[in-house]
Amino acid sequence: MFKNIVLLLLIFGFCNFADAQTTSTALKEETNIYERVYDAPLQVVGQESATFDELYAQRPVILALIFTRCTGICNPFLVKLKESLQFKDGDDSFRVMVLSFDPRDNLSDMHRLAQNLGLEENEQWAFAITDSISELTQSVGFDPVWDSARRQFDHDALLVGINREGYITKKLIGLRERGDLDLLTGSINNVFVPTYRLQNQNMLFSCFNYDPVTGKNKPGLGLIFLALPAVLTASLLISISILVRRSRR
Amino acid sequence: MESIKLKKITSVWIIAVLTLFVASIVLGILMRLNQGGVLHQAPITFYSNMTIHGITMIGIWFVAGMAGINYLMERYVKTSYTANLIALILTVSGVLMLWAVTLIGKFHTAWTFLYPLPLRVMWAQWATPTFLVAMSILATGWLIWGISMMTQVLKVYSIPQVFAWQHFKKDPAVKTPPFILISMITLVGVVTCLLVAVLLMALYFAEYFSKGNFVNDALLMKNLTYFFGHTIANEMLYLGLAVIYELFSEVGGKPKWKTTWYVALAWNFTLIFILTAFFHHLYMDFVQPEGFQIAGQIASYLASLPAAAVTVFSVWVAVYRVKIKWTLTNLLFFVGVAGWVIGGFGAVIDATISNNIVLHNTQWVPAHFHTYNILGNVLFSLGFFYWFSIQFTDKRVSEKLSRLILSLLIIGGAGFLLAFYIGGADSIPRRFSNYPAEFTTARPLANIGAVFATVYLIPILILFYNISKRCLKILFSSS
Repeated sequence: MFKNIVLLLLIFGFCNFADAQTTSTALKEETNIYERVYDAPLQVVGQESATFDELYAQRPVILALIFTRCTGICNPFLVKLKESLQFKDGDDSFRVMVLSFDPRDNLSDMHRLAQNLGLEENEQWAFAITDSISELTQSVGFDPVWDSARRQFDHDALLVGINREGYITKKLIGLRERGDLDLLTGSINNVFVPTYRLQNQNMLFSCFNYDPVTGKNKPGLGLIFLALPAVLTASLLISISILVRRSRR
Repeated sequence: MESIKLKKITSVWIIAVLTLFVASIVLGILMRLNQGGVLHQAPITFYSNMTIHGITMIGIWFVAGMAGINYLMERYVKTSYTANLIALILTVSGVLMLWAVTLIGKFHTAWTFLYPLPLRVMWAQWATPTFLVAMSILATGWLIWGISMMTQVLKVYSIPQVFAWQHFKKDPAVKTPPFILISMITLVGVVTCLLVAVLLMALYFAEYFSKGNFVNDALLMKNLTYFFGHTIANEMLYLGLAVIYELFSEVGGKPKWKTTWYVALAWNFTLIFILTAFFHHLYMDFVQPEGFQIAGQIASYLASLPAAAVTVFSVWVAVYRVKIKWTLTNLLFFVGVAGWVIGGFGAVIDATISNNIVLHNTQWVPAHFHTYNILGNVLFSLGFFYWFSIQFTDKRVSEKLSRLILSLLIIGGAGFLLAFYIGGADSIPRRFSNYPAEFTTARPLANIGAVFATVYLIPILILFYNISKRCLKILFSSS
């Protein structure tokens, strides 16, 4: 009896340990990949109003989400981005769209920001605001949280890569180096990025097959391969058992 | 009873394992010294050493467990000497090829050889096919051995009996010895993961020889790699535990442990869940469906925690306020169980998704797997080796020397592991040949680890000398 109680306590202890975990942090860079960005109407500094799809149809877009009253990451984030992209000046394979997600920002705020960064004449960069910011941020998986005490947003330093078709091909969070930005500019121009393998007709045993029409994965032949060894072992076990019993008779 | 041929072949296994163990520890110390900046190896040398260190350690402690259960299984069923011999020959061939591939061919994918690394040839051209052939040879040899032992057990016990299902009812007519239950559950896992290895090698060969006409799915290959790698690394622990269930009480002069409903239940959980626990290696793979990730976490708990609970309980009941005869064998077993449980806790912490986000690929990973190996599984097998070697001689290791051996193992092992754990908690990445200055604690910790690993090596050398000497006598004796 005593032994059983100790055993139960031990099992209880182990089970409690197993419960001691919280919800996992999402792998934010991987959310919303290959989904379409919301087609928001934009007011761009020094340009005519346009919709997002008109802009990315001209050339792929790197979207940087900031707000001008930011006392935190926004400024170093943009300075770093400018510094990392300085060697791509004049490169017309993409446009950097700096978009405010703060409804308080207006075009003159964004113009001042462009001036401060010395980018108001740079055609590669665009500074804009939109009245549909919540739909747009939702479509890219960006979730700023308002802190009323500090009167600041708590948010990620997010770059979103959008190709000419309006699909999000890659996201980067944080201050990133040129190598990562090269992967981003590559991915929005549909250049092969080694971190992802494209579908290949010579790949016969995929675990999942991505359907670009529905945006869903369908189970593939590869999953059978995962189950096969266990099924084989079970069959082997039963076959051996039957065979040795027969030979015993 | 055990035949002379079985004693001799077991001696060969033991000598081979101990020799390779000493060599691999030396490689490990060199790696830590390199990380600490004391040595300056070329990165390729470091990664070649890391590759052969990992493969050898996994391989030797797997075969040590297999040799152990094969020897003890003879008490219950007649085992096949031929299968044992084939496994030995193929293991020696495979190991020689692997050492050549890494040390001469400079193959350096790490022991996990994650796809597509082996196919991106950055070493001698012959190294990749030779590596694949060597792995296939090892898998084939061990598969033959495993299936052979499974067959012999099934000749005596039915399927429900080997899994002790009759123990779920009161007063079963046939009682399954715990050794048979755990050995069989482990062998099923071993055979499954070796079949995975065969499939994995076939897919690698197909891509290697197809010249681009066939490519593999990276997700499938990673799943298969860890299905094999994770499972075999865990099953080798369970082989050691089967030996403990058989010998712990016997060495202490007490009656043998019996299978009860909870022992049967815990080990049946292990049988089922160990085969899906490997999903926890893919937490960072965003393309893996979330359901698999959750399954990986749940399976990690259910495969290990019930078995750990009943084993700790069994050992605790066997020693608490019980007068038993302590020898080096059961002391090694006892410390080994503690090391296994501590390392197991470290593993379960890492297998918890929310923790893995932080600990993934930090030194926490080598910390936990080294814990349940060097202070767990290795001690299980060393306990068996020592017990085996003194079966046929009057000379024992003196009590004083036993105490020294154990103290150095614990001090050396704990210090070596602590350097890894602190590194892991400090988010120091693993598998760096050199650490940049930004990781301020990485270098001193690596050097501390190397010093303690050297302390750990001393008792291993003493045991190597003691055990090998006796095993050589057995090997060359005529009776």
